[in-house]
Amino acid sequence: MEILTAPAQALVDTVCLLLERWPMAGQWYMAFIRFVFPVLAILIVFRAVRSLLRIPHTPETWGQLSLPNGTPILLTHWENIIGRSKNADVYLNYPSISRQHAALCRGEDEDWTVYDLDSKGGTLVNGRPVEGSAPVKLGDTITLGGVPLVFLPQTVAEREELEEKRRAERPAAIWPSFLWLTVFQVLACLQLLVAMGAEATAAVPMAFFGLTAVMWVYFAALRCTHCVGFELETIAFFLSTLSLSVTASSAPGSLFKQFLAILLGLVLFIVLGLFLRDLERVQKIRWLMAAGAIGLLGITLVLGQAKYGAVNWISIGGFSFQPSEIAKICYIFAGSATLERLFRKRNLTLFIVLTGVCIGLLGLMSDFGTAAIFFITFLVIAYLRSGDWTTLSLICGAAVFGAGIIVKFKPYILDRFATWGHAWEAASTTGYQQTRTMSAAASGGLLGMGAGNGWLHKIAAADTDLVFGMLCEEWGLLIAVLAVVCIIALAFFAARAVRVGRSSFYTIAACAAGSLLVFQTSLNVFGSVDLLPLTGVTFPFVSNGGSAMMSAWGLLAYLKATDTRENASFAIRRVSQRRLTEQARRRAEPIDDPFADQEAADEED
Amino acid sequence: MKKIEQRAILCCVLALVLALGLGVFLARYLVRGGSWVSSPFNRHLYNTSGQLAVGTVLDRDGDVLSGVENGERTYYDNATVRKATLHAVGDLQGNIGTGALNAFADKLTGYNLLNGAFGAAQGGELYLTIDARYNYEAYEALNGHAGTVAVYNYKTGEILCMVSAPSYDPLNVPEDIETNPRYEGAYLNRFLSSTFTPGSIFKTVTLTAALEKIPDLDSRTWTCEGSVQIGDETIVCSGTHGQQNIGDAFANSCNVVFAQLAQELGASTMKQYTDEAGLTDSYSVDGLPTAKGSFAWEGITDGQLGWAGVGQGQDQVNPCAMMCYMGAIANGGKAAKPYLIEKTVSPLGLPSLPRLNGKTSQLIASDTAEILAEMMAQNVQKTYGTGRFPNMDICAKSGTAEVGEGKTPHAWFTGFLRNEDAPYAFVVLVENGGGGSSVAGTVAGKVLDVIVNGY
Repeated sequence: MEILTAPAQALVDTVCLLLERWPMAGQWYMAFIRFVFPVLAILIVFRAVRSLLRIPHTPETWGQLSLPNGTPILLTHWENIIGRSKNADVYLNYPSISRQHAALCRGEDEDWTVYDLDSKGGTLVNGRPVEGSAPVKLGDTITLGGVPLVFLPQTVAEREELEEKRRAERPAAIWPSFLWLTVFQVLACLQLLVAMGAEATAAVPMAFFGLTAVMWVYFAALRCTHCVGFELETIAFFLSTLSLSVTASSAPGSLFKQFLAILLGLVLFIVLGLFLRDLERVQKIRWLMAAGAIGLLGITLVLGQAKYGAVNWISIGGFSFQPSEIAKICYIFAGSATLERLFRKRNLTLFIVLTGVCIGLLGLMSDFGTAAIFFITFLVIAYLRSGDWTTLSLICGAAVFGAGIIVKFKPYILDRFATWGHAWEAASTTGYQQTRTMSAAASGGLLGMGAGNGWLHKIAAADTDLVFGMLCEEWGLLIAVLAVVCIIALAFFAARAVRVGRSSFYTIAACAAGSLLVFQTSLNVFGSVDLLPLTGVTFPFVSNGGSAMMSAWGLLAYLKATDTRENASFAIRRVSQRRLTEQARRRAEPIDDPFADQEAADEED
Repeated sequence: MKKIEQRAILCCVLALVLALGLGVFLARYLVRGGSWVSSPFNRHLYNTSGQLAVGTVLDRDGDVLSGVENGERTYYDNATVRKATLHAVGDLQGNIGTGALNAFADKLTGYNLLNGAFGAAQGGELYLTIDARYNYEAYEALNGHAGTVAVYNYKTGEILCMVSAPSYDPLNVPEDIETNPRYEGAYLNRFLSSTFTPGSIFKTVTLTAALEKIPDLDSRTWTCEGSVQIGDETIVCSGTHGQQNIGDAFANSCNVVFAQLAQELGASTMKQYTDEAGLTDSYSVDGLPTAKGSFAWEGITDGQLGWAGVGQGQDQVNPCAMMCYMGAIANGGKAAKPYLIEKTVSPLGLPSLPRLNGKTSQLIASDTAEILAEMMAQNVQKTYGTGRFPNMDICAKSGTAEVGEGKTPHAWFTGFLRNEDAPYAFVVLVENGGGGSSVAGTVAGKVLDVIVNGY
């Protein structure tokens, strides 16, 4: 510890000494650097966001179905719907084939199964009719409504061409963004030291340089495994840097805790990402996750402590924790489902029960912001799973009705929303926080007053619920808007990556996580500036708070798990694609290589 | 998966909602950012007592009306000047909404979108169009009465003098300000934010309507016997004026004649001319809205219409709107809109953009305006006396507005100068002052004398 603190303290002392000798130097630095920060921020974020929005790319291919006339149709997912509908993944325009005739799904151990989806024409495998489902192997003939399709692997040439194409589409190198982000972190640290003056502590440089180090170690480690996609991480690290700055302004004492939260968040991100690689493993643990979500919320209700009206904190041994943040991750985990499961259990009953319990518990905690987030996430997952507007409209209607009943019996809940839209008329009472946020935000202008130069941090919950105001005040409107744009880019990425997704579990989870982040950001930003009632939810990655930070990083793992670009994501098992090429080669070569299998297994990590 | 891809639009929709909301916020930020910044709790610009800690307010000559020393706000040295300019400059507690310190705080601080409040600590300079000297004279002339005095240039729109009384010293706020009846409505800028019974000055509107709607008005004569019965109301006159033509009746401010004219014109014509005169509109004086006048034309009896025609009954006018009407009469039917900010100088020394000041709508037809102006000039010669207004080609109308049993009436005096080098319209109201010409006319005379003839 001494080794770490000594240089940090020395840096702080040097800055203080320089400022004492040339007091104007600090003023000049702050006046100049505020023009630099937005430029750096754009340099950091632009590359990442552009790259994210270039999705979808050439999809992975898992095999092909050969039509009677020899035309191959590529299977680009682990779960493929075959039918006459334009929406089918394998679109076959034969009158005898139903709109949604059959599904061809790939298991974790590369075995394929065909499911008959109550088709009129019937499904046969090698001439045998399929009741429900039947396994298929390469070379088998699947007959749908009298149309024979041969399930074939791709040839070596096709595989190589595909791999070539995918390699060419590899995401652009992200190290320039990391480099700019490092410059940003160094300059921001200096800005904070100058702004804090004599009050500066060694914790500021330690936290910032700690984050820089963590970032580069992560980058180096993943580059060693030939990972190339770092867009999501760039955005998360950028927002985390802003979070450190916000914390340094408002609560310098919790800087170390916040740094630790980022570190833990990153660990959660990696662990969850690696766990998500194996779809079968994921399937088994869904029940546990559902229980986890309910358990976490239940424990909070029993042991919870009230903070700003909502009982959503648990304190254990001096550490306070918000379990509802982690419950979000469990909830999405439990709610997402593979296509296979969607066939077997079409209705959403169990999921609706889970949602009802979660929202009920949150309601009892008076944590209406989080309850709203769960509800929106529910709507997204339910719609992605069923595509059924009618049911969802009914549920929405029921929710409105339920809310009406709650308000009837607990009318005081409405008082919280009474100020909504009239903050300035109640500037010293219920509109206190919102008016302060708007005033401070406007004071920042486009470029901001400079980190550490604000006053909004003196208002209660400024670094969590009102953090958008702090960003505007200290970092300027440009960077604050950029932070929101980052979150929007995440949601767009999730939606666009669906086309090249492996399994519906990943795509549903990613869309749910993206929607959750976007909706939570909406509640935070709009609540603080009186466009919505102030509900007290956090800005993902930016707000000061350990659980919120970890939750945001955890949710990011779902997005990471849907990034199927070549070598882009550690949360995607890469070996399986490579093995397909290997197998194609082996089939092409007459002489067997007895060690090929062994090598392939070795490569698996 | 294609199906799910289509459904994933929901995710995009949510993202778009966020983007849209952000757009709404940005639009609000652009429009209202200035007023958000100007909140007494904004520690970038206000000190811990909520006083604007940056920016200097000056009058048109560059006299500092309010500045900052060591983070504390200071005012002009002379206590009477402080009182006379209070409603233009503003107080420290933010009670006077029309004061520059409150209303124009964003301009004072040099707040701008790029820098926000950064560097605003140096503060900008805001030059008001008023002259401290004129305000001082006007406040003295009011002599402790409640009321308002305003003079403006109807060709350019600059408000040269704007006083509202009762006033108080912002540096020594009276302890009994909330309870003492002497300070009732002291926070109110009567010129901009209040409406009053106009009394006889409203006869200018009735006369405008009569000039246009009654063709044989010139050849008519009336006999005033001190009162007239219209419907169930007895309209009482200030005297017994005998036989008179329209000019005499206007100069005598004869209620008998004007009540009958109003009855003849009818309520809808009266409403039309009142609205045209801008008396029921709100003007925006550098963003400060004036109070709208109010009249009750709908469903009134002939007698009530008679009273309304002489500016009594339910009639309420705003002094600023009245002054603009006077400016319009002087200026061929349209006057320049009044304003208060001469110029601003930002902390970086950058001057403000030149002002594009519009005119009011056509408040009165230009040929009618000429006739009316001549008759108002006759008023002064016949009744008020030109001696009180040296070197002035003055047109005016006095008013003595009854405000209830046992109360001294409000004294009004409003009009304009036709001098080429002094194109000023003015309005004077002395609450419970007594006779319009004698009391308010004297105040107007004193103030105009200083403005036109110098010290």
